[in-house]
Formats: sequence, C-alpha cells, structure tokens
Amino acid sequence: MAGDRLRRILAELAGGESSWPATRLCAVGPQITGANGVGVMLMSGDIPSGSLCSSDDVSQLIEDLQYTLGEGPCVDAYRSDQFVTEPDLADPQTRRWFAFTPPALQAGVRAVFGFPLRVGTVRLGALNLYRDQPGELSTDQHADALVLADLTARWVLDTQAGAPSGVVAEQLEAGAEFHFAVHNAAGIVSVQEGISVTEALIRLRAFAYSHDRLLADVAQDVIARKLRLG
Amino acid sequence: MTREADVVRSLVEMADTLVDDYDVVDLLTGLADRCVSLLDVSAAGVMLASPSGGLGLVASSSEAMRLLELFELQAEEGPCLDAFRHGERVGQENLQAGAGPWPQFSAAAVRAGFQSAVALPLRLRDVTLGALNLLGATRSPIAEADLIVARAFADLAALSIVQHRASTEAQRLNEQLSGALTSRIVIEQAKGVISERAGVDLAEAFTRLRTHARKTNQRLTDVARAAVDGTLDPRAWAPASP
Repeated sequence: MAGDRLRRILAELAGGESSWPATRLCAVGPQITGANGVGVMLMSGDIPSGSLCSSDDVSQLIEDLQYTLGEGPCVDAYRSDQFVTEPDLADPQTRRWFAFTPPALQAGVRAVFGFPLRVGTVRLGALNLYRDQPGELSTDQHADALVLADLTARWVLDTQAGAPSGVVAEQLEAGAEFHFAVHNAAGIVSVQEGISVTEALIRLRAFAYSHDRLLADVAQDVIARKLRLG
Repeated sequence: MTREADVVRSLVEMADTLVDDYDVVDLLTGLADRCVSLLDVSAAGVMLASPSGGLGLVASSSEAMRLLELFELQAEEGPCLDAFRHGERVGQENLQAGAGPWPQFSAAAVRAGFQSAVALPLRLRDVTLGALNLLGATRSPIAEADLIVARAFADLAALSIVQHRASTEAQRLNEQLSGALTSRIVIEQAKGVISERAGVDLAEAFTRLRTHARKTNQRLTDVARAAVDGTLDPRAWAPASP
C-alpha cells in the first residue's frame, strides 16, 4: 500500500522525465494533496531563509508572511518537528499566529497544514498546504502530503549534492525565493544609517511589522529609493 | 531470565541506537559482546569494509580474538573475508591446522584455543558492508537457533550503519547548502552597500565588486564580506578608470 502511494506520487512528479525541477513539486502538490495551494519553506538555523517553490500567489504570500513575521504553520512545523494543523483560521482551536492570521484570512486562506521537511534527523524546513474552505485533511491526503514532504526533502539534498562546492545548486535557485532584495536593502540601509547590516535587517523587519507590510515590499521601496528608514 | 528475553532486550537496545546519535564502533563492539554472552560461542569479531573496499577490524570480544582477526587480514584468508566476499554465511565445524579452506587461519585459531568458526556477512539488501565472525572452543556445530539470533543482530547492525552513513551525508549536504546560501546573502548585502556608497544601481554595484575581486586576486565572497564589514578599500567602488 505504502509502495503504491509512493509510486503514484513519483509518477505524477516525474511525468515521464527522470528528474524534475523544484517548481514541479509545488505545481503537482495541489492535485496530489487536494489543497488549493502548496508551498515549501526552507529554514536555516532557526529562521526562515526563503521558499523553494509556491504553487500560486497565495502560497507565496503565506511564505512571505512567515518570512516577515517569523511565525506561522511552516515555522511551527519546523521548530516542533511535528505536523501542524489549523483546519479553520477563522475559528482556531489554538490561539496562535496573531500577526500571521489576519492577512492570511484576508487573502482567502481558511485552513493551513504544515509538514516538517527532513531527511533522517536532518531538518530542512516545512511543506505548507492551504485550503480556502475549513476542514481537516483526509487520511489519504495527509499520507500523500507526508510522501511529498519526504520526496521534497530528499530532492533538496540530492540536488545540492550535484552543485559545485560553495554554490547553491542552480535547480534549487530556479523558482525559489530567497529574498535577496531584503539583503540588498539591508546593505543600503546600513550605509544610509551608519549601522551594521544585522541592525539594518532588524530595522527593516520592525518597519514592515509596524506598517503592516511584507518585508519583501519594504525592501523593494528601499532599493528604488522611494523609502528611507530614518 | 530466559535466553529469549535476553535476546529481545538486546535487539531493543541495539534498535535504540537508530534514533540517537551513536558511534559505529560502540555499536559493533556491543554486537560482538552480545554474541558471546547470548550465544554458544567463545569469541566474536566484526569487520567493516572501508570506502576503498578493503576490510578492517572494527570490534572484537577479546584480545585473543583481536589478534586472530588481525592475523586473518594479514594472511588474507579466513571466514570473515570469505563471508564478506561472497555475501554468504561460511563455516568450519572442525578447524584443522594447515587444512581446510583456511589453512593458516585455522592453525592460528587452533593455537588460540578455537576449534570451530562461523562467519555471517553484514548485509542490507544487496550491499555487503562487512562480516561477523563467531568462534567456538569446541568442535560442535553452531546451533540453528543461535544462527538465527546472530543473523538478527547482524542485520540490525548493518541497518544501523547504513542509516548512520546516510544521516552523516545528509548533515554534510545541509551544511553545504546553508553555507552556500550564507555566502550568497553576504554578496547581496555587499551589492546594497556598494550601490549606496557609489550611487549606482545593484547591477553596476555587482560589476564593481567582481572587478575589484579580479583585480586584487581575491575571492568574490571575501570582497563582499569586507564590503559588509566596512573594511573594503574605497577604490573598490570607484568608477572604472578611463
């Protein structure tokens, strides 16, 4: 039974090819799991480092919110190394994600599920599923998502194995969002304000938080010299 | 406590190592010791193949066993070597000096007080990782029940080793990815710094970073780090001389 599930999912992923790009993981994710959207968040140390792929704008937003706010289903799934479920963000069983929830609901997200991404004991991030209707995942959908998470984690490491030393694998970067613009902006702000880049990142994040904006958007304004953090 | 209960307890203890971080040598030393205490054998030894393919002694239940196994490797003949090469159990109920499949090994074994030998490969599916050697002080064949237990221990040990290697490799790759991403992030931050200092866009800032790295024969990541730390030579972001 387990073998059948894996074979079926691999067949959908591969679509006849022997390898697949990261974007495919997210593109077929919804049809495999029955979710409206799928996103993969990568974590470095204890903080989000970006998304490997997102199946749609809403999934990308879910990731952007978590990157900006440092809270959400993927963050929790990664940190606790457990499946995280919120079948109804509008009426949650657990009171959490106070900053993440309102903008997510506004974007049409009703249910979110986070699956840790790991290979053995090595933890990489989390797979996120969202639905625009409340409700839990079915047993089959849950099992399929587990397989997808497992395949995705292995894919990340296998792909990086093929990269020259010290460089992020090309296929990992394609379709990924590592928020380099945020780091460009931090460099700019560090010079403008005469502070360290670390301090600049903190200020950017604080500004985004207090103005209810995504870090990525604030960064773009800084780069375009439309915004100067005083 | 019955032998069965002891065996089950031993298997559980060994299985515990699958979830924790553990030392392969400790695992295999434990395996050798368990074989001696639970089976009707006098000594046990474990060999593992190195990346180059040659066998090396990893654990033995006694000093006498250790010396005998080293002898086996030196003489290039013996039960462990055969079990490893063929991926199958081999055995000799009645070791005779100078005779049988391992004439020299048998002579050394008999001198050390052993009269019988059985070796099992350490296998996981179609990969043979090494071998487990069991030596007896009497000429009686090893009991089938004992072989089943030895097989179970050997299989669990093989699984543990494969898992441990995979885990170590995964760890290495994850660190490599983290490191590569961090280097890239420093470069992006440096682009911002240079962009502001020189009053140019990010693309031009990157060009100046690269040019300076090339001219001063430095790595791009080192130049970027200096830019971010504020220790970069200002000429680095000056426009190219006409």
